[in-house]
Amino acid sequence: MSTLSALQHNRPDWSRIALYVTLLAMIAFYLSPLESGLMTSIKTQAGFQQTSPFVPPLPGQFAIEPWIEAFGRLQSGLVNSILFAIPATILSATIGSITAYGLTNTNWRGQALILMVLIAGIFIPYQSVLVPLSRFWTIVDLGSLLAVIPPLADRSELIALTITHTAYGIPICTLLFRAQYKSIDSSMIEAARLDGATIATIYYRIILPLSIPMFAVALIYQFTNIWNDLLFAIVLISDNSNDVVTMSLQKLTGSMVSQYNIQMAGAFITALPTLLVYIIFGEQFAEGVAGGGA
Amino acid sequence: MATNQSPDSEPPPTETVSTDGGLPAETTESTEPTLQRWTKSEFVRSLPFWLPATLLVGLFIYGAIGWNFIISLTDWQGLRRVTYNPAEFDLDNYFEFFSKVVEGGLLGGPQEYWAFRNTFVLLILFTVVALIVGLLLALLVDQKIRFENSFRTIFLLPMSLSFVVTAVFWAWMYNPSSGMINEGLRLVGLGAITQNWISDPQFKLFAVIFALIWQFSGYCMVVYLAGLRAIPTDQYEAAKVDGANTLKMYWRVIIPQLRASTTSAAVVLMVFALKAFDFLFVMFGTQPGRSADILALMMYREAFDGTANWAYASAIATILFVLALGIISPYLYRQYKRGAL
Amino acid sequence: MSDKHSRVSRRTVLKTSGVAAAAGLAGCTGGDGDSGNENEVEVVHWWTAGGESDAIQALIEGFEEEYPDLSVNNNAAPGGAGSALSTEIQDRVLQDNAPSTFQIWPGGSLQTYTDSDVLASLGDSVWDSEMEGAYKEGVRDLSRDDNGNYVAVPLNIHRLNNLFYNVDVLDSAGVDPSTLSSPADLLSAMETIDAETDAAPMAQSTQSTWTVLQLWEDILVGEAGVDTYEAVLESGVEENEDAVRSALQTVVDYRDYFNADAGSVAWDEANNDVINGEAAFMHQGDWAAGQYDSSEDFDFEAQWDHVPFPGTEGVYHIVTDSFVKPEPNPSPDATDAWLSYVGSVDGQERFNPIKGSIPARTDVPDDAFGPFLSRQREDFDTSNAQPATIAHGTGVSPQVKSDVEEAFASFAGEWNVDRTYSDLTDAF
Repeated sequence: MSTLSALQHNRPDWSRIALYVTLLAMIAFYLSPLESGLMTSIKTQAGFQQTSPFVPPLPGQFAIEPWIEAFGRLQSGLVNSILFAIPATILSATIGSITAYGLTNTNWRGQALILMVLIAGIFIPYQSVLVPLSRFWTIVDLGSLLAVIPPLADRSELIALTITHTAYGIPICTLLFRAQYKSIDSSMIEAARLDGATIATIYYRIILPLSIPMFAVALIYQFTNIWNDLLFAIVLISDNSNDVVTMSLQKLTGSMVSQYNIQMAGAFITALPTLLVYIIFGEQFAEGVAGGGA
Repeated sequence: MATNQSPDSEPPPTETVSTDGGLPAETTESTEPTLQRWTKSEFVRSLPFWLPATLLVGLFIYGAIGWNFIISLTDWQGLRRVTYNPAEFDLDNYFEFFSKVVEGGLLGGPQEYWAFRNTFVLLILFTVVALIVGLLLALLVDQKIRFENSFRTIFLLPMSLSFVVTAVFWAWMYNPSSGMINEGLRLVGLGAITQNWISDPQFKLFAVIFALIWQFSGYCMVVYLAGLRAIPTDQYEAAKVDGANTLKMYWRVIIPQLRASTTSAAVVLMVFALKAFDFLFVMFGTQPGRSADILALMMYREAFDGTANWAYASAIATILFVLALGIISPYLYRQYKRGAL
Repeated sequence: MSDKHSRVSRRTVLKTSGVAAAAGLAGCTGGDGDSGNENEVEVVHWWTAGGESDAIQALIEGFEEEYPDLSVNNNAAPGGAGSALSTEIQDRVLQDNAPSTFQIWPGGSLQTYTDSDVLASLGDSVWDSEMEGAYKEGVRDLSRDDNGNYVAVPLNIHRLNNLFYNVDVLDSAGVDPSTLSSPADLLSAMETIDAETDAAPMAQSTQSTWTVLQLWEDILVGEAGVDTYEAVLESGVEENEDAVRSALQTVVDYRDYFNADAGSVAWDEANNDVINGEAAFMHQGDWAAGQYDSSEDFDFEAQWDHVPFPGTEGVYHIVTDSFVKPEPNPSPDATDAWLSYVGSVDGQERFNPIKGSIPARTDVPDDAFGPFLSRQREDFDTSNAQPATIAHGTGVSPQVKSDVEEAFASFAGEWNVDRTYSDLTDAF
């Protein structure tokens, strides 16, 4: 083997070069749509009219105004989105973890059934639940229920959105965590049981610490989905001050006039939190996925 | 072997630890009444863990599915409240849908056939090809390259974007004269095969699927990369010693080991395939034409485009749900039996 | 929202729907929450960007000046004409939570709402005789429901049958648009332009269905006349098969002269080609002129100009937006005031110049309107027909519109006249 590798070192490693070339081509492919959006967002309207979206703005066409204007119009949406997305993400991931535990590392009959029911819930098309969802939240008038606490009552639509997203996120989180929990060595758990640990203790002491990587995956995945959702927001939020960022972004779209530079700047501002999450936590995401896949 | 013990029982005295897998000492049985024993059973003790979730899901998700199904049995239209008259419940909407599917398939005409077919094609083609692309990328990235983390992050980035954004990008990408795709083809001398990717009915659906694959293959790559890394290296060595060439080695040894990865990635991909609605909606509005219409869009159109055909839309939604389940369930069941789920 | 009837019907619905948990909660709140301030008009519309949002803002300011005790809640629905607003409104009406007023195309689009009796009839408090006199008959017809009651107040009118063109490109090709008197003439003009210049003879977007649909509409008017067109709107395509097919074929013929990227760009991106001199003609509603106005060095009559679509002189093919009063209404009197204002000279004078449309009333002073819009107003005053449109909701019911759009969505890819014709027979 070592002779072979020595031989290999003496000639240019075409396969390595080909590998890098391929990868770089893929990078270009993966980034080019983003690049076009970025270029558009820093052009003036005239610049956009005159050039292809992919080319950078020419000297007279550079403009930072689209970003300023987009940010101004998306500000409150950003705040509202953060207000509802973060709790919903954390809640759905946590409940997913607990549920997966209750269905995987404990022993009782009927687990498979409950599990099937939960997993089937992953595949419901969101467009079909809009009307019953808004019916439900009209009936459960959260605003009146919370009227005793005015700040909460004002945000009741966001709270409704949070609860909704939590519920709809539980199935996929459960699945993600189950995949990992299944692979946890059961002898560890048995040993703990022999020591007299309760189900709850086993969760806190053993399972939870092991789940951290998978939490990264669930949190990132859920945050992306919840942050980017538009349909639920449209039906659940009617008060302008509660608009979330995806709705505000849609409002940048005119019906008869399009200001692409502002729209693109707005799109990037909207995407910034999720982009950052992937950039900063990409490592944890990859590790966590390892836990689920192996 | 370890026995099934309820966690709160005292560790039984050694002489009653049975090796037959049965319950331990009869002492516990005679001192605890049945109810108490039940409340200490695994089932009850794990209830607080899985019950809240199940209730929430039952309410929100299955409540909605149930509502959809019941509405689909009525003939509700328009903006007045529905009146439920169980005597009039029937499957008319379903008959209508499927007869239109058949009519569309045989004679052309009703769009239901196309929406149904395209949904099917989208779900399967997108999932399978995204998995393959992800696997190939993972194999490339696994070759101990430098800057692996950066590559990985960049491949993942598209997934973080909302469809609202990527649909606009891809409309530009597919522009026949100035878009990257055709420009790229011309650059490498393949100008002859440039097409009107999103206006030519032959290519529309596949152009959309391609864009979706762009968005999610990064996720598959990450999953497979982790899966590949988890395979112990001696497996590779053993296969090499057996004289298997690279391709065979991969096929026989590596890929079966990736079953669990494939399962979880496939489920996530299917979810996104169902969300393709958002992408098509932004790119084409509610009317993409025969070649790219999908059930989710059709459902939305029937309900919300001013037409208020709630019952028919609900039937389509139920069909879509059953279709998705139908595609993924056999696969999931197999994986469950194999212990990979 | 708070009347007994709706409370009872909700409970009944819940009991029989079997949504057990919801049924448990149904007893508590009943949903008669705060229905909003009676003096506040909640206006839902889709004018969220650019000049349009300035226009609605001006209208609101004018209203608040005229009625100091009333205020407006400018609750724009997420943008893009139609879908998001329709989703929100339909949903809210279902929940008995309708806003005070919302924007809608009158005519055909109203049908979904009038069929379910959710729009209030507007009496003399809104449609007084003075206002009636200021509207043309065709426009007034669109504002009525099947029983002849007024339910909507149109605010603005855009013209659909326009042919815009880049003066320089036409000059260098030697084409004089005033000589074009039929869609066939336009076709030969485009051949000439194709031969003489590098520009695309016609800028168009085939990515969206409505642009192709409206082109077909105007070709039909141009070739077969307004009466045939209106007959098609009324009773379908079968009685006028030849005219319909011929118009479809003409669209296919035109297609050879579209810009190369028609399938991947939106109409305003295609319009940029006209501005840049890369395209000659553009068929579009006169909102396209707003884009010309906001471009530098691209002036009316000097660099761009307009003729009615060949064959459609004397026809003012209207696209109009209106406001309605849903029932039950959270602020009935305030909404009446809003609707009166929308139909008033002052309101329309403030809104339309900024929006780039002409007022629905005929008696609004001309001063605030630029030269192009003044010319359009003249054409409107002297027009002998103001037909409705399928593409913009006024001509047919939403169901028919949706089916016709389906047909055209496939047409815009396949360009198959026979198939599209058979789709259209099913649609109407």
